[in-house]
Amino acid sequence: MDARRFAALAQAYGGDLRRWPEAERMAGTVFAASDAGKAILKQAGTLDARLDSYRVDAPDKALHSSILQAAGRHLVQRRRQWFWWLGLGLAGIGLAGAVAGLALVTIVTPEVQPDHYVLDANVTAFGDAGPDAENGEENL
Amino acid sequence: MAPDPDEELVRRVGAGEPAAVQTLVARKLPRILALAVRMLGDATEAEDVAQETFVRIWRHAASWRRGNARFDSWIHRVTLNLCYDRLRRRREWVTGDLPEMVDPAALPDAPHQEDALRVERALQAIAPRQREAIVLVYYQEMSNIEAAATLQVSVDALESLLARGRRSLQAILAGDGADE
Repeated sequence: MDARRFAALAQAYGGDLRRWPEAERMAGTVFAASDAGKAILKQAGTLDARLDSYRVDAPDKALHSSILQAAGRHLVQRRRQWFWWLGLGLAGIGLAGAVAGLALVTIVTPEVQPDHYVLDANVTAFGDAGPDAENGEENL
Repeated sequence: MAPDPDEELVRRVGAGEPAAVQTLVARKLPRILALAVRMLGDATEAEDVAQETFVRIWRHAASWRRGNARFDSWIHRVTLNLCYDRLRRRREWVTGDLPEMVDPAALPDAPHQEDALRVERALQAIAPRQREAIVLVYYQEMSNIEAAATLQVSVDALESLLARGRRSLQAILAGDGADE
């Protein structure tokens, strides 16, 4: 690593080599031991020290609880939705079963002839002896 | 691809395990809040953003699948998008004026907080993309690859944003010191 690349990395990532790209950290550590390396890191470290002064307070308990409560509400809502979809699915399966059953019964069950049709004498070979039959007998 | 340390936890959250929900909040809330505070410079707005981020986490945990980004990068992206929505709204409502700054001298522990306030103001004054890069790499301690993926830029572009951002901060902070 040359001084130019070392300086570019320090300008971008600061003076702490732990923030530097992993692939260049080792070469950077070697260069950091040189006088030029030390001077570059010192300069970058000045800004780092100022940036470090800006700390953010840890989240307070109220925010923590509020987020957990929202999570609880979301879980309840999701379970309800899940049961609703489950119910809808079961109802759908039931309905599909009923339709399939009805179709099966319609196909498999033989057609039942109505009583009056079975007993109707006109459907036999001898039954429909109407006026034409009488005329035939006369012609003989 | 390196394993995602949050993947199993997110799966358990998606399955609705209350203990996993608590662990995820404890693990991620400080990071999300710190990111939002530094992006917005407003603690109350940052808390709102943190809450909204978690609502999105609960909504997507069950269906979340790791693509190119880790879960931590994904929540950083979500938080940054929410911060941008607020920054845009601010620009629409506030015409060019910076929000009123607190006078550090009026604070009880002024010497301690003075420097922090200067940095906060300087961060708010630089370009938002430069601020994002610095917050992700410097404060959130993301690797360059993770930060570049979160910002959806190349590593070279990230380095450029970081270097320009740090130069701007240095100039602003040096100017602050010169005023005294």
